[in-house]
Amino acid sequence: MNRHGPNSVASAAFKDWNRNWFAAIAVLLGAAIPALGQTPPPGMALIPAGMYHPHFRSESDPKEVRVKSFHLDILPVTNAGFLEFVRANPRWQRSQVKKIFADEFYLKNWAADLDPGSNAPADVPVTDVSWFAAKAYAQWKGKRLPTVAEWEYAASASATRPDGENDPQFTALILQWYSSPTPAVLPAVEAGATNFYGVRALHGLVWEWVADFNSAMISTGSPEGDGSDRRFFCGASSQGARDVNDYPAFMRYAFRSSLKADYCIRNLGFRCAQDL
Amino acid sequence: MKASPLSFALVAALVANAESFSAADSKTNAPVCACCAVKVDAGFRPAYTDKSLYQVESKWTTDGGQAIKFGDLAGKPQVVLMFFSKCASACPILRDDLKRISAALTPEQRAQVGFTLVSFDTERDTPEVLAAYRQAWDLSAKNWTLLSGKPDDVLELALLLGVKYKKDAAGQFAHSNAITVLDAKGEIVHQQTGLNEDISETVQTLVKLVKN
Repeated sequence: MNRHGPNSVASAAFKDWNRNWFAAIAVLLGAAIPALGQTPPPGMALIPAGMYHPHFRSESDPKEVRVKSFHLDILPVTNAGFLEFVRANPRWQRSQVKKIFADEFYLKNWAADLDPGSNAPADVPVTDVSWFAAKAYAQWKGKRLPTVAEWEYAASASATRPDGENDPQFTALILQWYSSPTPAVLPAVEAGATNFYGVRALHGLVWEWVADFNSAMISTGSPEGDGSDRRFFCGASSQGARDVNDYPAFMRYAFRSSLKADYCIRNLGFRCAQDL
Repeated sequence: MKASPLSFALVAALVANAESFSAADSKTNAPVCACCAVKVDAGFRPAYTDKSLYQVESKWTTDGGQAIKFGDLAGKPQVVLMFFSKCASACPILRDDLKRISAALTPEQRAQVGFTLVSFDTERDTPEVLAAYRQAWDLSAKNWTLLSGKPDDVLELALLLGVKYKKDAAGQFAHSNAITVLDAKGEIVHQQTGLNEDISETVQTLVKLVKN
């Protein structure tokens, strides 16, 4: 009766299997070819190209965003690293910085302009730095700040897999950190966990600036967009959460939406990225 | 030759900064600007105030194709709007809000105020496109400036203005609806948010900033 019976199922399965393999090989090649001969610069790790699934998006946004392969600092910038920067760029020293580029909390926990002091040990992530200061540091290094997509893509990797956001244990660990108070002296960068790509301390030490943090648009308590934001944001309502289980991603989104570029915050640092 | 609005802006900027220069000039023996007898240092680096947006070093292109620094807008209050020309929803309303603000001023007041539109759309809003936009919406060449810039510089300016934005897959931008008033020194003195709002506060701010 069914002339196409099991055979056609098998052949379809074979085609699928084939297509999947081709796709897998294509993905591997796609990731590997641009990366060939691209040894990351010292202190940076290669993040291979892939898909970032935005946690929050509007109806017109794509479900996934292609992230090109890039280099990311293995560790957040430390007080020692930032001291070098302010030595070379006096206008970013605490007493010199223009108010428009950093609020009154800029490097507040440092002892003096050129002395981080005991509250800001050399190997601890630098914090209390504004977006402008972080961007200037990155430029001075010939680097840039990672985008939201790049940061989230790299940070979704757990120790063992690139899609750690689907691992309840990984998510639970991050939430545990989010719910702990910030210690008086932050842990050294070396204390941060290493993820699948060899990048360390993306979670667990400090929050980090990203280049386009101002792309997060929440002004009321309603992430579903009840229209009340329409007055203030053109096209920003109807943004919805993709995965309610990925609460850490939601928290980062909300945190970013509350920032202004001159804010200097006790547990907000940064790291740099670079194109291949 | 017809003097361009830009040269007016430059002269205005020089004049506006004359006061802050004079103190330092006696010490440095700076050369004198030929056009207006103001002493300037070789690099023309005005001493902007700590809160002035004109401290940014970004370079912009006007719809007339001229390269300017943001600080070249100094010298008179500016009403600043970030927008993009392909926006079909909020930006036309915001542009009309700016026109309403302009219309609420007397001709004397209006002549002392600048209106500056800066585009989010660094790919599509070329100087040519913005020139066509100026013509289509009849934005006066006398005191309306339309700027395009590099993505990084647009981001920096947006952050200084507290403007959020995000490009979607279709190349449209979601963005804050904010109209900002800068004083002659480039400090933010007022910001109105929302669409088709009551403009009276913004107008009052401008009236206080100009000579009446």
